[in-house]
Amino acid sequence: MNRLTTAVMAGAMVMSSAFAGVAQAEKLVIAGRDGGYGDALEFAVEAYLAKNPGLEVERLELTGGGLLEKVTIAMREKSGAYDVIMLDDPWAVEFMSKGWLADLDKLGGGVGEDFVKPARDVSRYPVGSGPFYAVPFVGNVELFAYRKDLFDKYNLGRPESWTDVLAAAKTISENEGGVSGAVFRGKKANPIVTGFLPILWAHGARVVGADGEARLDSAAALEALNLYLELKNYAPKGIETYNSTEVRDALMQGTTAMTIELWPSWAPSLDDPAKSKVPGKIEIMAAPGQVQGPAPMLGSWLLAVPADAKNPERARAFIDFLTSPEMQKTLALEVGIPPTRSSVYKDPEVIAKYRWYPAQVEALQNAQPRPRITQWSKVEAILGDYLQLALIGEMPAEKALSEANKKIARALSR
Amino acid sequence: MHSPRYLSLLMLAPALCLLALLTVYPLGRSLLLSFFATEYGFEGATFVGTENYTYLFDDFFFRTAIWNTVAFTLMATVSEVALGLMLALMVTRSFPGRWAVIPALVAPYVLSTMVVTAIWSAWFHYDFGFLNNALRAAALPPVEWLFDPDLAMISLVLVDLWQTAPLTFLILLAGMQAIPLEVYEAARIDGASPKQILITITLPLLLPHIMLAALLRSIDSFKIFDKVYALTGGGPGQATETLSMFVYRLGFRFFDFGLASAAAVIMVIVAGLLAALYARRIIRSESNVA
Repeated sequence: MNRLTTAVMAGAMVMSSAFAGVAQAEKLVIAGRDGGYGDALEFAVEAYLAKNPGLEVERLELTGGGLLEKVTIAMREKSGAYDVIMLDDPWAVEFMSKGWLADLDKLGGGVGEDFVKPARDVSRYPVGSGPFYAVPFVGNVELFAYRKDLFDKYNLGRPESWTDVLAAAKTISENEGGVSGAVFRGKKANPIVTGFLPILWAHGARVVGADGEARLDSAAALEALNLYLELKNYAPKGIETYNSTEVRDALMQGTTAMTIELWPSWAPSLDDPAKSKVPGKIEIMAAPGQVQGPAPMLGSWLLAVPADAKNPERARAFIDFLTSPEMQKTLALEVGIPPTRSSVYKDPEVIAKYRWYPAQVEALQNAQPRPRITQWSKVEAILGDYLQLALIGEMPAEKALSEANKKIARALSR
Repeated sequence: MHSPRYLSLLMLAPALCLLALLTVYPLGRSLLLSFFATEYGFEGATFVGTENYTYLFDDFFFRTAIWNTVAFTLMATVSEVALGLMLALMVTRSFPGRWAVIPALVAPYVLSTMVVTAIWSAWFHYDFGFLNNALRAAALPPVEWLFDPDLAMISLVLVDLWQTAPLTFLILLAGMQAIPLEVYEAARIDGASPKQILITITLPLLLPHIMLAALLRSIDSFKIFDKVYALTGGGPGQATETLSMFVYRLGFRFFDFGLASAAAVIMVIVAGLLAALYARRIIRSESNVA
């Protein structure tokens, strides 16, 4: 063997071992949300990589709709594209019931009792009793916020019912220049529906009954929708296109007296004078009641491992890291992500930063999930379409509810 | 020796294979799926006959989507061809700075649609947008560009016009430059006025190019999706929901692939008819020229 041949062979061996090294590099693919949730995941991934330098992480940052679309297609195609996926709790029912997620009990670790019960319950299938298929990551609960200073100025008491909300919105928008009475998300699909549901529930109406049938064609639902539409008279122009950013901006710029829907992760800087024009003036509470008491809506985001994940053990370990008490506390303090562990809500450092956390955890402990049906995404989209038609005045409220009910009944039957 | 017929088939084979794989197979599969109730593919699908079609024609949202698509296609095609024609007529003669005007007119067409929608989204903003600021500066009331149900579709047409009129402009400019100068000289010698030249010479000779521009723009407008998705999401209400958006939502939000396939089949039929009408007209005018 001459020198040249030896050199070529040696080079080939070095190259092949290098490529083998590349091929063997451990990889974790995460499909998650954008915005604050994306910041939280980025923060946690950096911290995890610092402890696991050999790991390669690919993270997708997607909108809510985009995430649902991508992960649903991946599950149906059994593509094994993702190791960790982030799920909104109403989506999880379909994912769990269709066997798309790995049983986390079998992967080891379980989900401890430190996690808030409603969020823990929706992480199992059957709900509240079966094995765990997910771990609660974001402890979101739908809250209500109002400007205490303006309510005091106009001698308005804390709004206990939706009728109080309407009356306060009218008073403030008619008397306080440059301030709308109320603000909410009027955008089609999930935003408009989640804003409307607490009003609907408080009126004793339901989208889907306990028997699994569509139940929107009721007098209570009509009363709730009429109240919701009346609120629009005191909302800013263009409310039909409002989403979380616009609601947060209106609240923090001091241009609205109330928001009927506030998710804790939207506004971690309510009291920060650098970001808010009304620090310390916003009061946060569970949504008001009407014929029924307040029913805060659960909006927990979960983390799960797909059944076809290529690296399930590492995925489980990453989820444990992400939902550990230490990381939950860090994410709450650094990024403003609401925790899912009860112990973090009791942490003095966390409470010192977020004065509303005691009220938030109380709401979270009593939170109600959206209907646990596999077709919820479809039902929500249908309801969102008709609610917006009613909101922009293209369809009378009664017709919108009856048409939505017909379509929802069809969706539930298929 | 192979006969010329086999040789022709052999030469066409790669293109035919691609056509079968990328067009015939998906079309056939969609047609079949349209007769099933299914969440995704044929696995677990239930045969429902023509139920999906009956449901669609009875559905207010589907009828609205058809109407919106037709309205958008008509408004966008007519305005884009008209603007393209005006620009081509203006630029066809040489004038100082023509070398700079043509690239400037074509510039919007080279931008990606996502960039275009981001620009217009900022311009349309009710409180801070350039358009409403201009209106306020002129002491006029601001306009609800994207959230007035009667105006949202026109706003989308405006964006499409801005981005795509350069294409029709280029097609028509090329058409004008292909008209022999002798024809114009003869007309002028005979004493024809500029208006007469335009009506009796330029427009008739430009007709095949106008038809081509209209065909390209109407097919493209008919499948409008990206601008709607990025600017309005189909709203407010159903005001800008087009057939492509409708099919997308049924398929990838509702995962009702049977219904989505039925809607897609109807969409293909309408688009096919539209294309056939134009093609017939173009072929006829070409044979007349020949």
